[in-house]
Amino acid sequence: MQVVDVWDSQLLTMRTFEHLYMFSIALFSATIIGIGIGIIVFLHPKIADTVLNILNTIETLPDIALLVLLLPFLGLGAKPTIVASILYSILPITRNTYVGLKSVNKEYIYIAQSIGLSSNEILLNVRIPMALPLIAGGFRIALVFTMGLITLGGLIAAGGLGTALQTGIYLYDVDTILVAGLWTGVLAVILDAVAGIIESRLQVRYGIW
Amino acid sequence: MPTQRLFDRINSVHLQQVTKQYGEHVAVKQLDLEIQGGELLILIGPSGSGKTTTLRMINRLIEPDEGVITINDHNIMDFDPVRLRRNIGYVIQDIGLFPHMTIRENIGLVPRLEGWSGQEISDRVRHLLDFVSLSPESFMDRYPRQLSGGQQQRIGLARALAMDPPLLLMDEPFGALDPILRKQLQDEFNIIKQEIGRTILFVTHDIDEAFKLGDRIGIMSDARLIQIGTPEELILHPENELVSDIVDAKKKFKHMDTLRVKDMMSPITDTYLFDAGMTAQDAVKRMTQTNVELAIVLDNSVPVGYVEMAHLVQQIYYDVTLRDIVEPIPIFSSNDHIASALEKLKDRGGSLGLVMEAERPSGLFFLNDVLLRLI
Amino acid sequence: MVIFSVITDATVEHIILAYSALFVSIVIAIPLAFASLYSTRLASIVIKFANLAQAVPSFAVVAIVVPLIGIGFTPAVIAIMLRALLPIIKNTYIGLSNIDPLFIEYAKGIGLTDWQINRYIRIPNAYPAMFAGIKFAAILANSIAILTAIIGSGGLGELVFEGLIAFNTDKILAGALPAIILAFFIDVSFSILERILTPVYLKS
Repeated sequence: MQVVDVWDSQLLTMRTFEHLYMFSIALFSATIIGIGIGIIVFLHPKIADTVLNILNTIETLPDIALLVLLLPFLGLGAKPTIVASILYSILPITRNTYVGLKSVNKEYIYIAQSIGLSSNEILLNVRIPMALPLIAGGFRIALVFTMGLITLGGLIAAGGLGTALQTGIYLYDVDTILVAGLWTGVLAVILDAVAGIIESRLQVRYGIW
Repeated sequence: MPTQRLFDRINSVHLQQVTKQYGEHVAVKQLDLEIQGGELLILIGPSGSGKTTTLRMINRLIEPDEGVITINDHNIMDFDPVRLRRNIGYVIQDIGLFPHMTIRENIGLVPRLEGWSGQEISDRVRHLLDFVSLSPESFMDRYPRQLSGGQQQRIGLARALAMDPPLLLMDEPFGALDPILRKQLQDEFNIIKQEIGRTILFVTHDIDEAFKLGDRIGIMSDARLIQIGTPEELILHPENELVSDIVDAKKKFKHMDTLRVKDMMSPITDTYLFDAGMTAQDAVKRMTQTNVELAIVLDNSVPVGYVEMAHLVQQIYYDVTLRDIVEPIPIFSSNDHIASALEKLKDRGGSLGLVMEAERPSGLFFLNDVLLRLI
Repeated sequence: MVIFSVITDATVEHIILAYSALFVSIVIAIPLAFASLYSTRLASIVIKFANLAQAVPSFAVVAIVVPLIGIGFTPAVIAIMLRALLPIIKNTYIGLSNIDPLFIEYAKGIGLTDWQINRYIRIPNAYPAMFAGIKFAAILANSIAILTAIIGSGGLGELVFEGLIAFNTDKILAGALPAIILAFFIDVSFSILERILTPVYLKS
C-alpha cells in the first residue's frame, strides 16, 4: 500500500505525536492563561479595553510573521512554535471569558447576593459556570488557531506534521503532500468536532439563561 | 468556614428614621418601623411606595442614607453583609433559581459554602422539600426549567429556609402566579408559617393576601409609612382616605344576604379542565406546562371532582388515571346565595367548591377566601 | 543588509497576490451566499463545508494545492482563496438570513420584487456581518500570502523563507515587517470603511 509506505517513510506516527504534544501544551496553556486574563480583566474593568486591544493587535499579525518574530529570542524549534500558538490563542478565550462573565443575567447576581454569597463565591458558583458555554466557544476558536500555528512550526524545525508537509513541498513529492496534507486536515477537523461536541454539551448543561 | 449565627431568635427588628434617596427621588423617608419577634408583618402599598426598598435595606442589599436599623438592638451596619444575609432568608417574585444547578444544588448552595457534608446537605434538602410538599425523590435531581412556576416558588422558599434563618424577607413571592395557584400557595404558606414560627417581613400589593397572611399590616405610600396595625384596626380606624381606600375592598362584601356565589368565585378557564381518562403522569406534565396545580376532572364533559398536583406527583409511578384518584367536589350554581353555599361546604367538611354556569364549569369557590372577605 | 528595492518589489508582489485572491474570493463568495438563501440544501452544504474547512490549517491547504494544480502564482491565489472564501460566505449568509421573516413578508406584501427585497432590505441589514467577514478574509489572505512563497508565489514570503534557510534575521524581518504593517493597515482601513458604509440605523 502506497499510503502506508508514505506514512512510514515520513514517520507520520511520530510526527503526529510530536504535533499533538506541542498542540496540547500550547492549547492547555492558552486556555489557562486566557481564562485567567479574562477573569482579571473582568475584575478590573478599567484595564479591560487596553488588554483586549493588545491581544487584538497580536492577533492581527500574520501568524507566520509572529512565528518568525520570535526566532531571534527563542531560536528555532518547538519553543517559538508553542509560544506563538499561545500568544495567538489567548485572545478568543480571554474575550469570550470576559464577555461571558459580564453578560450573566443581573437577576442571578442579585439573588446570589441576597442569599448571602460573597463576590468571590458569586464568581465561582454563578458567573463562571454560566459563562462556560461561551468560554467553550472561545476555546474552539483557539483550538483551530493552535492547530494552524503548530503546523506552521514545521517551517522552523519544530517537528510535527508541518515538517512532513515541508519535506513534501521541497522535494515536490506529491504522495507525501497528499497523505500528510489530508491527514493534517482530517486531524484538525476531528479535534474541532470534539470541541464542538463539548461546546454543545455545555450549552445544554449551562446554557439556558 | 462556617458562618457564626448572628441571632438564634428575633426579639425585634427596628428601623429608626431611615431615609434612602436616589438623586432627587426619595425612595424611603424618615421611616420608623418595628417588626416584633415572631410576627408576620405585611408591607403593602402602590408600586414605588418604598416597600421593597425598605425590605432590601434590612439585609443590606441597599444601604440607607440616614437612620439606623437594628436587629435585637445590634446595628446591622456592624455585621458583615454576607454573614448577615446568611442569617436572613430571602424570597422574591422572580424566584431566581440558578438554571445550571439541580434543585438539590440550588437549595444546598449556601450550606455547601458553609462547609456542610454531602450527607448533611442531602438530609436538609429532603427535609425542606417535604416541608414545602414536594417529594424529594422526584425533585432533588431535576433542573429548575423542568418545574412549574408553583413548584419553583416552593423551591425558592425552601432555599430561603436552608440555613434555618430566624428572619425571613419575602418580596411579593406569589405575585407572578395565576390567581388560583396563588390562593393554593397562600393556604399552604399559612400552614407552614405556624410551623416555622419565625419573624417574617412580607411585601405585597394584594390586599387580600395581606389580610389572609398578615398578623399586622403596614401601609406605605410616597416613601412613608402611613399606618400600621392589625387588619381590624385598619378597617375600623383608618388613619386617612388612602388607608380606607386600600382596605375598602373588604367593606363592600359586608352584606352577605345579597351576595351570590359568582361574586366570590375565582373564575377558571379550560386550562383547569382535565379528562378523567388522562393518566396521572400526563396530568402532572400538563400541569407543569400550564402552571396550574389543581384541575377539575370531567368524565364525558360531566365534572366528577378535582385533583391536585401535590397528590398527583405521588401517583405518577403507578398506572392510574384521574378517574381512579379523583376527589369529589361539591357543585354550586353561580346564582346560589353565598350563605347556602357556605353551609353546604361546611356540612361536607370541604374547603373547595366548583361553580357551574350553563352546564359548564366557570369558577372555583374557596371557603377560606370567602370567610376572609367577610371579616 | 537587504536592498530596499527588493523589499518594495516583494511588497508589491505580496499585495497583488493577496488582493487578487481576496477579490476572487469576494466575487465567488457573495453570489454563493445569495444562492444559499434560495436553496436550503445548498445553504446547509455550504455552511457545513465552511465550518469544517475552516478548521483545516492553512499550511495543509497550501500544501494540498500543489499535487492538484502545481506551484506558482495561480496555485497560490487558489490556496489563499480557498481559505478566504469561508469567512465571507459564512458571514454574508448569516447577515442576509438573519432578518426577521416578518419584514420579508411585509416587503412582499407591499409588492417588492425579490431583487428589491435584496437591494433595500437584506443587503443593508447584512452590511456589518459581511464587512466583518471580508475584513477577516483580508487579514487571512495577507497572512497566507506569506506562506505561499513556499509554493513559489514570490512576494514577502520569499524573503522570509530565504532568511529562514540562511538563518538571516535581517532578511526574515525584511519580509515579515512589511507584512505586519500591511496587516495593521488592513485592520485600520477596513474599520474606517466599515464605519462609513454601515447604515446609520445599525450603528450602536
